[in-house]
Amino acid sequence: MQHINLITRRGFMDRSMKIGMAAALGSLVNLPLVLKRALAEGSIGQNGKKLFFIFLRFGNDSLNSVVPIKDPAYVDTSGSQTGNSNWGVSAFRPTLVIPPDSLGGLLLPAYSETTGVADFFPSGTGTTGVFAYQKAIALRNGFAALHPNLKFLAPLYNTGKLAIIHRVGYPNQSRSHFDSQNYWENGAPNNNTVKDGILYRTMVERLNAQSNALNAVSIQSALPLILRGSDLALTNLSDVSRYSLLGVPANTNGETKATLAVSNANQFAFPPKQNRDLLKLHFDNLAKTLPLFDNISSLLATPYLDNENTDGDYPYNLFPTTNNTNGGYVRGGGVTNTAKYVVDTASSSYSFFTNLKAAALVLNKTDATIAGTELGGFDTHQTQGGLTGTHPNLQKRIAWAIYALWKYFSANADKVDWNNLTVVTLSEFGRTSAENGDNGTDHGEAGVMYVAGGGVHGGTYGCSTSESIPWVPGSVGVRSGSMFALPVGSATPNYLKRAIDYRSVLGELIRDHLGATQNQLNKIIPGYANESVERLLSGGHVNADNTDIRGELNLV
Amino acid sequence: MKRLIAFLAVGLCSLPCFGDDLSQPSITNFTFGVSNGTSQIRIRPGPAVEQYTVISGTNIVALSNSTAGVLNSSNFTWNATNPLSSARFVGLKVTPMSSNALLAANILNRLAYGPTPDDLLIVSNAPQAYINQQLAPESITETIDDLPLTDTTDGTNNWIYVTATGIASSSVLYVYLTDAGEAYIDDIKLVVGTQAGVGVNLIANGDFEGATFPAPSWSIGTNANLSNSVISTSIKHGGAQSLHLISTDNGSSRESSIYQTITPSLSTTQTYTLSFWYLPVSITNVGVGTVRLSGSGIVALPDQSVGRNFQRLSNHVAGITDLRAWFCAHAVGAKRQLLEVLTQFLDNHFVTQYSKTQDYMGQYYPDGGSQMRAAVDMEFREISRWRQALMDPSCTFSNLLRISAESPAMIVYLDTVTSRGDGNPPKTANENYARELLELFTCGVDNGYDQNDITVMSRAWTGWRIELVNPTNEFNPFAAKTTLTLPGAPNTAYSNLVGVWACNFKQSFHYTVSNKLVFPSKTVPARFGAPWAGRNYELNIPATSGTNGLSDGYRVIAHLSNLPFTEEFICVKLCRLFVHDNFVHGTYDYTQPNLPPEARLVHDCMLAWENGTPRGNIRAVLNTIFNSDLFRSHGGSLQKVKTPLELAASTIRALRVDLGGGTNFSASTDGYSFATPLSRMGAMLLFDRAAPDGYPEQADPWISAGTVAERIRFVESTLIGLGQAGKSDGGNNFTAPVTLLQAKLPAGSWNNAAAVVDYFLAIIYPAEGKANLDALRTSAINFLNTDNAGAASAFSSLAVSGTPLSTYDQRVRGMVAMLMSLPRFQEQ
Repeated sequence: MQHINLITRRGFMDRSMKIGMAAALGSLVNLPLVLKRALAEGSIGQNGKKLFFIFLRFGNDSLNSVVPIKDPAYVDTSGSQTGNSNWGVSAFRPTLVIPPDSLGGLLLPAYSETTGVADFFPSGTGTTGVFAYQKAIALRNGFAALHPNLKFLAPLYNTGKLAIIHRVGYPNQSRSHFDSQNYWENGAPNNNTVKDGILYRTMVERLNAQSNALNAVSIQSALPLILRGSDLALTNLSDVSRYSLLGVPANTNGETKATLAVSNANQFAFPPKQNRDLLKLHFDNLAKTLPLFDNISSLLATPYLDNENTDGDYPYNLFPTTNNTNGGYVRGGGVTNTAKYVVDTASSSYSFFTNLKAAALVLNKTDATIAGTELGGFDTHQTQGGLTGTHPNLQKRIAWAIYALWKYFSANADKVDWNNLTVVTLSEFGRTSAENGDNGTDHGEAGVMYVAGGGVHGGTYGCSTSESIPWVPGSVGVRSGSMFALPVGSATPNYLKRAIDYRSVLGELIRDHLGATQNQLNKIIPGYANESVERLLSGGHVNADNTDIRGELNLV
Repeated sequence: MKRLIAFLAVGLCSLPCFGDDLSQPSITNFTFGVSNGTSQIRIRPGPAVEQYTVISGTNIVALSNSTAGVLNSSNFTWNATNPLSSARFVGLKVTPMSSNALLAANILNRLAYGPTPDDLLIVSNAPQAYINQQLAPESITETIDDLPLTDTTDGTNNWIYVTATGIASSSVLYVYLTDAGEAYIDDIKLVVGTQAGVGVNLIANGDFEGATFPAPSWSIGTNANLSNSVISTSIKHGGAQSLHLISTDNGSSRESSIYQTITPSLSTTQTYTLSFWYLPVSITNVGVGTVRLSGSGIVALPDQSVGRNFQRLSNHVAGITDLRAWFCAHAVGAKRQLLEVLTQFLDNHFVTQYSKTQDYMGQYYPDGGSQMRAAVDMEFREISRWRQALMDPSCTFSNLLRISAESPAMIVYLDTVTSRGDGNPPKTANENYARELLELFTCGVDNGYDQNDITVMSRAWTGWRIELVNPTNEFNPFAAKTTLTLPGAPNTAYSNLVGVWACNFKQSFHYTVSNKLVFPSKTVPARFGAPWAGRNYELNIPATSGTNGLSDGYRVIAHLSNLPFTEEFICVKLCRLFVHDNFVHGTYDYTQPNLPPEARLVHDCMLAWENGTPRGNIRAVLNTIFNSDLFRSHGGSLQKVKTPLELAASTIRALRVDLGGGTNFSASTDGYSFATPLSRMGAMLLFDRAAPDGYPEQADPWISAGTVAERIRFVESTLIGLGQAGKSDGGNNFTAPVTLLQAKLPAGSWNNAAAVVDYFLAIIYPAEGKANLDALRTSAINFLNTDNAGAASAFSSLAVSGTPLSTYDQRVRGMVAMLMSLPRFQEQ
């Protein structure tokens, strides 16, 4: 009798689960079509181009990164330092403001110059600290400046191969970390039902993606959404040197026997369950990729040095993973100098550079087309730090990471060189334009992206008053201009308004750098297939939130 | 030409199944060869099937078992071995698993950290009784926090009995403390075998009855850390004397220990058991007592037992490794398994981060150790309050939310501790807590609130700060700083004060300017249906001043606790925890007549919440889930992927039976050894999640090649025998699969590869159904009959042995590790 009840229940339940899933699928209105690559199309993975991504998690404060130093709503620079008692004061960022420089009146005019050559202040061979210069670094685009801890972006910027892109966002920006990270990664703003990533879909369009063992690799604690999807396993490793099975017993024979048994058993058929395809996909990927990292593992200990005297001192290690490999800390004759660190010494700093190095090696030594990692800690609600502290330390890491990738791929090219590489940073939002009562900033809207590479058309985008959608300066002490353009109608607006959609930036890189066709790109970033509404290609007015955007920037 | 007709699957009771139902077993394809035996049927396997039988005949109402072919279970094809003759019907008969056996597996996979071999038997006999018992943890006697065997025969002191078994790594025994502190040790014994104290004691003068110290037989290392140690005649376990260890600095080696070179030398292939009596002097000792062989083949760390750990945690002096070890040991060994699962759920839902608190403590304590202990204490008291609340049958979500809001760890974590609303004009309050309170702890993202609600609500929390108060004032938010000082303290700096960190209202930082109108004029959307739709849920918090400002926060808690948005989001999260990943909040329309079963279950849970006694009763909601068809059905099993913690705990539990006395198990962990593997399997750092959304419950963030490799390595290192290469990769996690099979299988089966494999398949994959495991079974039998080099080697001719060096032991360990390395073991 028990069995009758059982079968009935099972039949009933299995049916109802099916209905449940069908209903769920039915609601996925904007889900891209099943992403099977139909025909040979485009040249992703074939044109020698590769992409390196760094996700800056939890909302990088763009206003203290690429500083709108000429915006009176950010800081008062009217008159002279001696004539204006409020000179250098920020009404809305009183503790966080990055001070303008007016030393002898020599440097201030630099902020107004438009030569496009940024200041770079080498610390030299003495005891002067790497970051001794603690004023906003003039970018000489007539408007913006860099946080002094981003100084290592300056030499790259001056080669014309770094694009600094400000006021980046998407329509109806979410101020939830998790929603907004999802949207940046799935490429579908305000749609959490898209469960696969923008770079995953890019890799699906790669020729022979299914037969390639390695298409894209991240080096961090787990595979990020940007690389996740159901038809193709992309690979994440947290520690390249541990990427093997032990075996029981843990010797060569035991390992071989275990690896074979796991790989064989993964082919057995089982009844369907919600996560069985996922597990099969990634166990297969494990079996395919286990042998591919041995040479990288052996290179992890190799020091890679700058090709010139870094900071005017001597060639620094490109990947600071210990105090002794951190900038010019170790001096001759057993002397050390903490002022010569190029990045902070927190363990999260060194683990980031360990991951960065491994990801760079993977991209350079394997057939992977995309590699990347992440850096966290940007949720600076409290005691963010203006010139020193949490956010300034993170700035050092960003700038040095981009600098290191530039130098590494310039001097050590194997499967890709600097000319064929593009580096891009992502972060889910910027932060409030005014600091809170806690010397920090809360979740905001538009942010900043950095794009670098030998083929990049460098310069500033979105951070000057003289471009097609100009930055509108506000007034001293008044919540006004681009910095305080949102929310519309609010008595206390607090958010930077976007002028550029992050999808236009990524779209251009995926098509014009990685080699997707426009047709492929329309699938990779569904918004591209809806130009009259989204305006990702040519720019224009976005009705969804009544905002003008620039469209693509001709970055590459 | 003969014609055969294949029709869709026929269940045991002739209930027709639905051909388009992907989870139903059925015949999906049929190819027919006239005379050469190539007829083939392809079968779609179904969940929890014990047996598939192909039936055939010419009379559709009287089909019989076909002997004309065999089922290949690696791809589920049935191939005729003889030509089929004459026109006939062919059907598939499916024998499902016993519903109690399957329900037991589901229960132990979801309400517990995985099945143990003995629990599988107990629970399948009475599944509902187990659920009822777990729902009422106060009805279960929990002994895991008890100290190991203690002895007070000397009159006043609680001597702890300590044992450790292992293979000798050398013949030198060290005794030391890992840091400053004191302890007494007496009656050290080392014997051959696994029975403590049984046999010849190989330690000379282990009872310290010798006239002089350290002689006879003992030496003191050249470092000075233990030079104050003496022989005690006043405090001793047996005889007239014991060793009084007095440590001034950390010990770790021969130079920093009291040691003995054992003669004659020990055999490095032999198993020995160490035992002794241990008396810690002060609960606040920082040093950890250690007795071990050089090379760490045998290690005893009496202060790291669960009971000692609990003592330290309860006395506010534990470190983060202690807290994690205690927590993981509970996951593996506690009887109140659901309480442990819910503790993890709550700690992860109301997430806090000990390392942020530790940093924050930097302004109060000069040393990192004190900062950490204060931070860990806040975490422990927080989860202890939840655990206490859950012991009460009338516990509500509101109770749990309030504990989180009052937790000093939360106040620090989301920056309320520094948020300010004072001043004129008032300072802008930090939004962090208000945002996550709505987005992550109550309503769920985009569910019933907007940015204005966050901004306004953030003012309510200003002034909620923390203070070190007299322990009797832990729950008095207006208490002044403690004035109790440590004995002999030179001043009243924080590091000299005795107290606990607690929620403390500082009215001078509170926003007092105006009322705070949250959710102005908002009404519950129509999709909620009755009784919720249309309710106005505006919250108007009046302007308050002085100590009354504290009430703002409590008004918020009271209001949010039973909003339909909160009910929905929390019920969805519980369903994801206990049923499967695909429940969502914010979209179901509960007024629709044909609700998908997921929405229906969430709705049932919300009604149970709404009608609970009292409203929001957690047990009522859980009971609804555990009685749902989705939870109990055959189709509902194994839909979830284990988190790293679940994987690690279930690995130990799968092979864990009590071999006697509640102290000797066939699989165990010291608890301390989970932290590193959990970190490697995707950075699951317990009590240290940086992001406020907690660790994911769904599968895809956890599963990729790198994390899978680490999951397999954990299983492998846990299965590797003591003292063998690779054992240290995962730390002190031990299994003895041969001991287990010897305890559970008759001796006649020990060399029978099929019987051995069947036993392990049944305990490792209890919810899959035998018929679905055939291919794995064949594979595992082959493994047992193959040597490491890949050559045939009959399992039946191996000498049965549980010694890690024996071929038999290695073969069994390898086979079990293989089974537990597979995709199916990731599921629950």
